[in-house]
Order: sequence, then structure tokens, then C-alpha cells
Amino acid sequence: MARPFRFYVKKRGTRSTTSQALGSAALAIFFAALFFAGVGLLSRILVTLIIPEWRSNHQFREATGLVLKRHISQHPDGSENYRPEILIRYELPGGTAYETWAYDVTRVYSSGRSDKQAIVDQFGVGRRYPCWYDPLNPQTVVLVRGYTWYPWLISLFPLSFITVGGGGLVYSIFAWGKSAERRAALTARATQLELFESATPSAKEYPSIPGDANITNSPGTTLAYRLPVSSSSTWVLATAMVVALVVNAAAAVFAVMAVRSHLRGEPDWVLTLFVVPWLAIGVAAVMYFLRQLVLASTIGPTTVEISDHPFRPGQQYDAFLSQSGRLTMKSLNLLLVCEEKATFQQGTNTRTEVRRVLEEPLVERHDFAIKAGAPLEVRLSLSVPQGAMHSFKSGHNEVNWRLLVRGDVADWTDYERSFPLVVHPPRDGSDGP
Amino acid sequence: MIEPSLTVTLDGHRGAYRPGEILSGQYQLDGAQSDQVEALEVSVLWYTQGKGDEDLAVHFFKRFSKDHRDQIDARHPGRFSTLLPNSPLSYEGMILKIRWCVRVRLFLIGGRELVDERPFQLGHIPAAKSVPP
Repeated sequence: MARPFRFYVKKRGTRSTTSQALGSAALAIFFAALFFAGVGLLSRILVTLIIPEWRSNHQFREATGLVLKRHISQHPDGSENYRPEILIRYELPGGTAYETWAYDVTRVYSSGRSDKQAIVDQFGVGRRYPCWYDPLNPQTVVLVRGYTWYPWLISLFPLSFITVGGGGLVYSIFAWGKSAERRAALTARATQLELFESATPSAKEYPSIPGDANITNSPGTTLAYRLPVSSSSTWVLATAMVVALVVNAAAAVFAVMAVRSHLRGEPDWVLTLFVVPWLAIGVAAVMYFLRQLVLASTIGPTTVEISDHPFRPGQQYDAFLSQSGRLTMKSLNLLLVCEEKATFQQGTNTRTEVRRVLEEPLVERHDFAIKAGAPLEVRLSLSVPQGAMHSFKSGHNEVNWRLLVRGDVADWTDYERSFPLVVHPPRDGSDGP
Repeated sequence: MIEPSLTVTLDGHRGAYRPGEILSGQYQLDGAQSDQVEALEVSVLWYTQGKGDEDLAVHFFKRFSKDHRDQIDARHPGRFSTLLPNSPLSYEGMILKIRWCVRVRLFLIGGRELVDERPFQLGHIPAAKSVPP
């Protein structure tokens, strides 16, 4: 049945409850406001800081100034920000004389009175120093030239506004008045053009199924392909080390500040209470790193090899599992696993939910030992059940297949290692029994 | 005054297709004059439903502006036809569902829109079951 255009629709997909037209307009206005705010801020930084600095270095003319007075000027709003000011008298080549409070061209106030006092002290009253005046406005004069870093640093702030606002505005204009299908078709066409050279025949033949180049690029020693581990223990170890270092460095800085406050006899209890959980997190991070280090060094590599790839439902494949190390194992399992993965926005957070829809045990071993130089090796046959869903990947949703090795080391710890697979639909198009 | 309406039908009134089969059908516009129509879009697409944010991809897309009077003529049905892809197949998962449909969208002068869609199934994947943790 045909349905008329609805002014009010529900929140997401078919649950959207707002007007799409109004939503698009509001989004375009938001991005435009962000973009023009960024342009305004950047223009102000250019006009008041960057261009004057450039002009003072390239276009100002040199003269000699006589220092009449000097002082430190506090910001008019009463805040603890200062700038040095030197009253100088200087003459232009034509003989016209000016008296002006001067120092640098930006005339920016900043914290730290003692720094400004040191600058002021460099200029003795009654002495002459080189100065540079603006030929377009001779009352503008400086005693120092050069470039400062802060205009460039604060430019990052409006630049981020311009990037986000401009990008959003371009997208809003691109999407304006276009249906979801037309937008998807235009995006698909652009993606196809972009991937024209790089797309594999498999990707063109099986849309929305992830490619398997990363899986088949490593030949096995026993079977055709050695599967990559999805999260290498080396990466986990490196990440754990970096996290432990960062957390403990921060905890150490806070701890030193807190201890100093106690030693001075002016204990900062808020800081002290803040330091305690940081130290606890630091200790936990070190413990986790040490556990990963022991896991990586004691439990040897796990390798899984397969006879063919990609898998197709109903077909038989050979697999080979090898686990090395020096371990007394309580149990070791190899599972074939299929999981759905959904990513969604909840407020301002992006959340992911994973639901396992298939778990098939392939190998189960209990109470055995693995000795150095004599790894556990198991050869087996496996198949993806007939009628099972193929691998799938889109922007927010996935169906992922993997072989999962789950080990339980006696009197110690358990571990999991995951080997991704790609499953295609049956070649003949028959999808079920 | 007759309210404009739009109806999509699939040839043979089929609800299920295999990958690589040809899907064809027609759309009928009633109660609207050609000069009332701004554009018409025919899409064969899949979209996701479930826990995750919606994804949508178009397998076949045609847009006819008001210059293509023959395709948006209320007196004659418009036809469409496409070879269906190998994937993704229709799927009834636990937190993810993949739906296929033919969607026809009519844009009338003045900003009004009419949409009709005909769902269909690509492949025959049985519904998924959750594995107890």
C-alpha cells in the first residue's frame, strides 16, 4: 500500500519520530553555525595576531626610540595577566616625532608578572633602542620583532570548527532533498569508483562480505593457509605496557605534588584523596601487564591452519591445530563460532553488542601436558552447518565467523585466541537443506 | 479530487528469490497527473533492522525526472527488472535482521512524497538461535 510522506516519523529507521526535513535543516544550520563561528574566530586571529606579526617582520621600518617611561600593565578586567609597556619617543625621517607605549605588535596579556618585570628591566629610561614603526600608521611601533607560537596553537581551535562544520555542511548540502536510496546509490557509485582498481573479484561477486586477502596471504606448513590471530598477544602486551606507563606516570606526578604539600606543612587533602584511586589503577595496570607478559612468555604460540578458504556451508574442510609451550593443561577446546555484532548510538556514546548464534565444539582435550619442543598437534575435519548465515559487514552491523581456541592452564589461568574466517553463501545458490 | 496512490507488484507475486535470479515487476501510479510529478525513484535494496543503527545499500536504482514522462505516466504501469546479487542474503538473526525490498518513491510538485515497497526474501537462511553463555 502506498503511504503519504509523513511529517513526523520515528527515531531511528522505522522508529524515527522526528521530521526528516526539519532534522536535515536543523543539522545544516548547526554545521553552518559551527563553520562560520570557526571562520570568524580564525579571521580574528589572523587580523589581530598573525598578519600584524608578519607585517612587523616584513613591512615595518626601523627607527631609534628614546625610552621615557616603563611599567607593567595589568589586564583591564583585573585578572592576573600582564604585559610590558615602554613609553618611547621616536622620529620619522621627515622629522615628525611620536610618543607611544610599545613593546610587541600583538599587545597580548599573559600570566607571569616576573617574566614581564624582567623584560621591562631590559629597557633603561633615557637610553636609546632600535624600534620599528608601521609606515601606514606611524603611531604603531614595536621594540621587538619575530614570531610567537600561540597564534598558531590557538588557530587549531577554529580550524577544528571549520573542518567539522564545513564537512557537515557539505554533507548536508549533498544530502539535501535526496531520498535515503538516492544517497546510498550515490555513495555506492563513489565507492565503486574509488575501489575500481583495488576491489577483488570476490568483493565484486559477493557484496557486503568482507574480503579474505588477510586470511589467505600466509601459507601453512601442514595445510594451505595459516590463519592470523585476531588480536595478537604482542599488541595486547604492548598496549598493556603503554597503559601501565601512562597511568603510573600520571599517578607519580600527582603523588609527588601531594607529598610535597604534606612536607610543606600545607597538606592538600583533595589532591591526596585524588591520588589514591590513581595509584590503585596504576598498580592494577602493572599487574595486568605482568599477567600478559607471563601469558606471552609461558604459553607458546597457537597456530591454526585450514585446507581451503573461504568456507561455504555444508562443505568439509581439514584443519590443523598446534599449541606449543611448557604447560600442564586442565582443558583445551577449539570451537567454531558465529557472532552477530551491532553498533549503535546511545545518547552521545557509541555502543557495541555481540550475540553468539553458533558455537560448535571441534576439539576437546582434558588434563594433559605440553612439553617444550613437543607441541600439541591435532588434525581434524570441520564444516560450517548447512543453512548457516554467511559473513556480513556493513557500517553498523556484522556477522563474524571465527575459530576460537580456549585454554585453561592447571592451577593458573585461562586464555582465548581467536582466528577469523570468512564464510560465503553456497556456490550453487542453495541455502538450506 | 482523487488522492494520488502508488502500488508496486512483483511479477508472479513471488516473495522469495535465489541469488542470481531475475527480479522483475511494475509500479502503478493512480490519481496523479503527469504535471503533478517532480520525479520517481525505483530501488531494489537491503536494509538492516535490530539492535544496531540501520544500514542500507542499494542494489538497483533508477531515478526518472519529470522529463521521463513515459516512466511516470499514470495511464501505463512502469516496469523494472534486475539480476539479484549473491549477497547479502535475507537474514533473521538475534540482534540483526537483513531485509530486501523493492521501494518506489514518488516526489510530487510541492514537496509531497508517496512511497510503496514490496518486501521479498533473497535466499533461504533459517532464523538464527541464540547460544546460551
